[in-house]
Amino acid sequence: MTDDLEPLRRSRPDRVLPDDPPDPGILAREKARLMAAINEPGGLPGPRPTPSIYPRLAYRDERAALEFLTRVFGLNERREARMEHPDGMLAWLEIGDGVVMIGRSGEERHGLVSPLDAGGPTGMVNVYVTDVDGHYRRAQAAGARIVMPLEDMFWGDRRYEALDLEGHRWHFAQRRSDIQPG
Amino acid sequence: MAEESDGAVIAASLREPGAFGVIFDRHGSTLLRFLARRVDPAEAEDLLGEVFRIAFERRPAFDRSRDSARPWLYGIAANLVAKHYRSETRRLRALARAGAARVPDEDPAERAVAAADAGVRWARVVDAIGVLPEAERQVLLLFAWEELSYDEIAAAVGVPVGTVRSRLSRARSRLAALTGEPAAAAAPAEVAAARYDGGAR
Repeated sequence: MTDDLEPLRRSRPDRVLPDDPPDPGILAREKARLMAAINEPGGLPGPRPTPSIYPRLAYRDERAALEFLTRVFGLNERREARMEHPDGMLAWLEIGDGVVMIGRSGEERHGLVSPLDAGGPTGMVNVYVTDVDGHYRRAQAAGARIVMPLEDMFWGDRRYEALDLEGHRWHFAQRRSDIQPG
Repeated sequence: MAEESDGAVIAASLREPGAFGVIFDRHGSTLLRFLARRVDPAEAEDLLGEVFRIAFERRPAFDRSRDSARPWLYGIAANLVAKHYRSETRRLRALARAGAARVPDEDPAERAVAAADAGVRWARVVDAIGVLPEAERQVLLLFAWEELSYDEIAAAVGVPVGTVRSRLSRARSRLAALTGEPAAAAAPAEVAAARYDGGAR
């Protein structure tokens, strides 16, 4: 009965592609990089605390959302925090000292709905970023729906707003006093 | 003299961070081979660095009574692979193509089979891998490709051994159903395409 996995075992990539081994230089390079990071003054950052307030956003497809938010909006996942379940996943994403949690929508998921179900967003996540112009270009190029253009505002921020893949609304800003002239 | 366990090395690295390099020396090549099987070759290098940076940051949480850090590292790496499922899909597709072209020559067991047949069977196995629910695919490939034990998989994925067994058994039945029915051969590719390309824009 163990033979049922034989075709799968034979399909292992390095058995199919025996002349395509990983470049041995990779190990030396990555070891050097790791040691440099470890030995750097200050070293690698330790685990960061979770803020006292952090929202949870609901998506019909939370995996697609994770992919979108990291690729398009540049959020970073706290990978060790991820919780996998057969019927859904929870992930924690951060920018700077802020955290949002994402999960699947549904009656049994705290009754949270996606904007796709609600007919539109019912809230907005406000995020300060370090380079709002670069952030805007990246989001636009990656296909985010820009719903407010990048503009200088009277209260001193430069900001834009965009919808994510299911229509949650995000506000990205930078203090204009933090922007280098020229 | 016996080698220090990974647990002892990681304990030492809490006081002397540079000691963590030993963990890379012991497990770097295993993890690189794992990643190279699962994602684009170019991405494997990036992810290898990522695995060990994450491991270093999280080392206070490592259970230092464990002799080997390998399952723990596999768990971190498997999570990263799950995050890069586009790359994983590309890797599987490349594998299907390469397998179709090579198997009749490379594998005596397949030699008797006409090349076209072998190609179809390859594509079917590889498509089936791509269609499995992620939790099942992780367990199945840690078992069949990485040859980890149930206990090691449980430690890697962070679930009880019983859950590993039930996931593995579901994955096997699904794989059998997906690969055993010639009539269903076209379906997995469609499902995979919907799953991998449907969400983002």
